[in-house]
Amino acid sequence: MPLRVIRDGDGPAAWNMAVDEALLHAATTPTLRLYGWRPHAVSLGWFQRWVDFADVPAGIDMVRRLTGGGAIYHGDELTFSLALDADLLPRDVAASYELLHDAAVAALADVGVASRRLAGGQPVGARPRERWCFAEPGAGDLVTPAGKLLGSAQRRVRAPRSRVLHHGSLVLRRPDLTPFVAAVADAREPDAALRARLADALVDRLAVALDLPAVASGLAADEHAMATALTRSRYGDSAFTRAR
Amino acid sequence: MRPTDRKYLKSHEWCKIENGIATLGITDFAVSHLSDLVFLDLPNKGASVTAGESFGEIESVKAVSSLYSPVSGEVIDCNKNLPDNLEWLAQDPFNKSWMIKVKVTAQSKALIDAAAYETQCQAEG
Repeated sequence: MPLRVIRDGDGPAAWNMAVDEALLHAATTPTLRLYGWRPHAVSLGWFQRWVDFADVPAGIDMVRRLTGGGAIYHGDELTFSLALDADLLPRDVAASYELLHDAAVAALADVGVASRRLAGGQPVGARPRERWCFAEPGAGDLVTPAGKLLGSAQRRVRAPRSRVLHHGSLVLRRPDLTPFVAAVADAREPDAALRARLADALVDRLAVALDLPAVASGLAADEHAMATALTRSRYGDSAFTRAR
Repeated sequence: MRPTDRKYLKSHEWCKIENGIATLGITDFAVSHLSDLVFLDLPNKGASVTAGESFGEIESVKAVSSLYSPVSGEVIDCNKNLPDNLEWLAQDPFNKSWMIKVKVTAQSKALIDAAAYETQCQAEG
């Protein structure tokens, strides 16, 4: 069984989230999707309250993710989603983050960026919740001395199939709106060559971690149709984003 | 051995039916694999639930998981204190941490007894 790899360009927030949900429900092989955000946008975690983000400057796109965790300002970053059967990841949620974060640490090291998975410290749930995903690194987070470099979150469903959608946001340049984040640019200039090498390394390392051979692919027709429908019915609808 | 006075789903929900009323919750196995729970969303009284479909959602370590109903029917009560006291789920998943009570109109055919559920948990590790 291969790891299907979809390399998308930069897309709007609603489309990005709709494609990832479509892959969670419709993909029949494990799928890794790499993408970016144009325009840059804020994504809220599934349970977050819209009113807590009233200070986000007007004009910035906002979307609600299917996955949990805190809000992320998606500026210049390498974003990836993994949609796969649950039995391809450790059942334990924290252990699944460890597997994927270690792959990301290795990929970053491949391009000369040192990072580590934060061991010890307080578990996420025991801390006061920060509204921004990157504001306060917790146990298991991928960090550099400058702060948290990778934001991660998941959605797990058991019916009709046991599936996991994993989101990863790897910061390339530090955004003004969330200046507390670490960035690849702290260590290496994220020029076009480095971006391409980092994307390749991430694909390679995640494929090794999952023990699946990577195969380039694109969105299937049924996935595209589902994503189009979800853009209309959910992610492109401000009522959905503001529902909590 | 987990309580034998109720049935289980492979998705780790439990269901205790008495006089046509089902009390639902999630098992210690589910709680141990989720860990560090931060949010729980349950349906309100009067809502309908359907066997095999999601009746709520729980978030742990930035992962949102759906909760699946073993029965169909109308929600007649909800443990309103549970979302603010999620540590109860680790302390007492089978009693104090019940989630909703449902007036049952149908049951899932996938319900299994405690012994079969035990076997499944051992297989999952």
